[in-house]
Amino acid sequence: MVAIIEKRDLRDFDWLTTVLAVAIASFGVWQIHNALPTENYWSKQIIGLIIAFVAFLVVAFSDYRRIIDAAPVFYVIGLVLLLLVITPLGVEVNGQKAWLKLPVIGQFQPSEFVKIPTVLMLAKYFGAKKSGTLTLREILIGGAIFAGPIVLIMLEPDAGQAITYFPILAAIFFLSGIKVRYVVIALVAVAIMVPTAYFVGVRTGKIKRYQQERILAIIDPDQVDPRGYGYHTIQSTITVGKGGLSGIKGDPETSQSVLKFLPEPHTDFIFAVTAENTGFIGCVSLLLAYALLLSRLISGAREASDRAGMLVIMSIVCGMVFQIFLNIGMAQGFLPVIGVPLPLMSAGLSAILSTFIAIGFVVSIKMRRFVN
Amino acid sequence: MKINDYAQNLAARVGAIQIVAFVLLALLGVRLYYLQIVKGDYYSERAENQRIRLIPIPAPRGAIFDRNGKILVDSRPTYNVVLSNEPIKKIDVTDRIDDYARGLGLDHQFVIDRLALIKKQNEFETMVLKENATMQDITWVESHTLEYPELRVELQPQRFYPLGMVLAHVLGYVGEISPNQLESAEYKDKGFRPGDVIGKGGLEQYYDEYLRGKPGYRKVIVDSRGRVQSEIETVQPQPGQDLVTTIDLDLQMTAEQQLNSSSTNRGTIISMDPNNGEIFAMASHPSFDPNVFVQGSTTSEGRKQIAAYWQDEKRPLYNRAIQGRYPPGSTWKIPMSIGALQQGTITVANSHMLCGGGITIGNKFTRCMGSHGSPPLDFAITKSCDGYYYHLGLKMGIEGMIKTIEEFGYDKRSGIDLPNEKVPQTPKTWMPYILKHEGKWSDIRTVYASVGQDTVVVTPISMLRVISSVGVHGKMYIPHFLKEFRPIRSVGEEGDPSFIPSRPGFGFVNADPTVINMTPEQNALVLKGMWGVVNNGGTAGSIKMPNLEIAGKTGTAQVAELGKDTGANKDHAWFDSFAPADKPEISVLVLIENSGFGSANAAPAAKAMYETYLAKKASPAPDNHDVARKYSMKISE
Repeated sequence: MVAIIEKRDLRDFDWLTTVLAVAIASFGVWQIHNALPTENYWSKQIIGLIIAFVAFLVVAFSDYRRIIDAAPVFYVIGLVLLLLVITPLGVEVNGQKAWLKLPVIGQFQPSEFVKIPTVLMLAKYFGAKKSGTLTLREILIGGAIFAGPIVLIMLEPDAGQAITYFPILAAIFFLSGIKVRYVVIALVAVAIMVPTAYFVGVRTGKIKRYQQERILAIIDPDQVDPRGYGYHTIQSTITVGKGGLSGIKGDPETSQSVLKFLPEPHTDFIFAVTAENTGFIGCVSLLLAYALLLSRLISGAREASDRAGMLVIMSIVCGMVFQIFLNIGMAQGFLPVIGVPLPLMSAGLSAILSTFIAIGFVVSIKMRRFVN
Repeated sequence: MKINDYAQNLAARVGAIQIVAFVLLALLGVRLYYLQIVKGDYYSERAENQRIRLIPIPAPRGAIFDRNGKILVDSRPTYNVVLSNEPIKKIDVTDRIDDYARGLGLDHQFVIDRLALIKKQNEFETMVLKENATMQDITWVESHTLEYPELRVELQPQRFYPLGMVLAHVLGYVGEISPNQLESAEYKDKGFRPGDVIGKGGLEQYYDEYLRGKPGYRKVIVDSRGRVQSEIETVQPQPGQDLVTTIDLDLQMTAEQQLNSSSTNRGTIISMDPNNGEIFAMASHPSFDPNVFVQGSTTSEGRKQIAAYWQDEKRPLYNRAIQGRYPPGSTWKIPMSIGALQQGTITVANSHMLCGGGITIGNKFTRCMGSHGSPPLDFAITKSCDGYYYHLGLKMGIEGMIKTIEEFGYDKRSGIDLPNEKVPQTPKTWMPYILKHEGKWSDIRTVYASVGQDTVVVTPISMLRVISSVGVHGKMYIPHFLKEFRPIRSVGEEGDPSFIPSRPGFGFVNADPTVINMTPEQNALVLKGMWGVVNNGGTAGSIKMPNLEIAGKTGTAQVAELGKDTGANKDHAWFDSFAPADKPEISVLVLIENSGFGSANAAPAAKAMYETYLAKKASPAPDNHDVARKYSMKISE
């Protein structure tokens, strides 16, 4: 494939996006090292980053249109993988079957990857759309495409991962000309339904005790079960706060993660580790890097040569923004503890691989913006 | 731009998404500013509080020795199971009460009390859950570190009283400061905290501030499970000062044996150096084992034993020598005699006074034990003639007697270096009460008071102090146990915040004695009578010793009316004495409760004390007199 890279490809290759993504991921490797210097998560992450980068290049130099054409195939493969997860092939961790162990490939989390076929499938369907507002029929078909992976992920059950799929659908509908009044109605409905559903759920016992605690822990972490989710929230907030202006720069003597006060420091709470080690300066730099990366992606969407490409990019952007906000908000103690990885930062091969593949699509779309 | 090709206002929609994305990121930035810049110090401190822990290093308490360097009180290493309050803030321990109680063999209620107490502590402090942990307890704790990270085993020197019941009242015991004491100003101002061990009773209490050391600590970094990761600093403790007492253990053992073999097993024996007030021996029976208080307060069995001590009718916890108040009976005749001579009621030249076999007041006849005619003072003392003192008392009048009471300090404490000494009760204290209720002080009360009955109840220590003064020209010293506090060197570098300065050694500063005014002739006359008690056919003639001339006075103090003075109401037997009579080196007081005549029940015990004293004089080198020095070198290293 490298052989068929044309000169034009190199000229239109989005170097800045690539460099930003690799820079954030490398910064993440350093934070994973800070989190647990004596463990080998950081070196594994380097290997993961290399694999992810190779996959990124392959996707970036492929013609995204051909991949979108093949979207139904990928989509079906994705559903099959999700089905396998809930068979005995799935690996159960903490009462959840989110992992799949396959020969040769090893252990991975299909729900991370299936986002991409889902985005492609939706983009293929809505990309063919002509002008005009979204019809009910289109909404139902889009909902059906979306429901496939969601239902399977909820069977694992992994509500946290399922939540990260919703921004994809929201972006697709929003950019396929759904009427603004429906958007407003949807937002109002969410604002009313969520608290109502919560209280009804608590009353009827549908929302389990541990799920309630995650929510209550945000309101008053010191009172609600300080051993459980309250503990995570308290420790993460302390860890972020103690970083101060410039952080502890990897001093293991006072590190909240080395002393094991901070749980899951290399995955879910990698932002807290970043905050502790690099302080306000480091964290603001990280937020600016994300902002810049997202801007690059959005500008790619604006320039996309077709509707499907634009939809792919914006779905990826919305998914990333949502995950960043959810993860950092959790680390800062104002959002519930939901196991969502921080894009490009959290340790884990599945997460970094799927993020780089997604960015590979964006680069591919941008590269072909003048082709038509 | 291609998006403009579409008719759905797509450029605006993409722009809206971009704005929402930036607003969300900005929100995170604002929250970050609040957490890290505004509240950064607060969270730094919270993080520090949860990772830094002070582990106290207990300071050894000063040992207590007798005058020859024999160990009376010591500390020995024991293991305590302690509860650390930091992890239990995160967990609900109430559901572990049963586990603790079962695993460590503790009383259920005790565990609940402890958990209530620990809530009042500062962070990172510990509370002893079980003292004297056995191998099984330690194994249990070690094998449950994952389940109960709040439990820890700590090495703790524990007070040990090798002599058990011997000298218990003088030594006292140590124990955890009580919640009441913590509230009192006396302790609060000195910065005591729950769980601190303080002296309770006896020398342990009186000299607590010198015996007590200053604890050190280890400042360590712990992980979330409380496991020590590294040490920041160690501050060594400073041991307490060693106390060398005036006690002579051999005399003390004799006193204890004599009380043990006495007929009622209740009473007190005190021995003192009349020349300076140093106490050689002070025994009070029944006694108690201080080790029970030190070791038993955390077990239900031990607490039962402690409760039994408190409830025992025989009052084993009470130091009869300084807290008991007894009618002195005929021993009271010594201060009476001197008082009468001072006031000129009688003179050395003419000290005769009618005995008459008794006296009639109104229509009531109060008899003397014999009929002694009209004897001189020395004869009245030697034969303990009551009739003489009935008449003498009336002649002195109650005012004269009160003057004597004040002269001999019976209206005050002796000032001995023990807590909770009682003041005697005398006609001086009773006078306002009697006048209020009876209108006047009747002669019969004066008669009774003149032989140490009715309105006169005194502490044995006040009596010994007065009797001893007769041998040393009327000098009354403050009785005391303190011979010397040994110095302790400083800990750490001068200028360091953790520096503990050295503590100098010091001895007892003997104040000028109170001197009883009497002429050498008056003194000699009383002394002659007391000498006669033992050596000239007096009431204690049976204890006459060939090689030591004892001067003394017997007393048989009535507890109940004549005729009812049997069984539990038998008289208290007294014998107050010193020897050698002409130049005393030792004084001995014996009081046996409800045993009958002083001559038969108290005097022989005094003789045993003198025999021990003589035996020691014959072989003066104590068998291990340098033990103290070796020991002090060992602990100061």
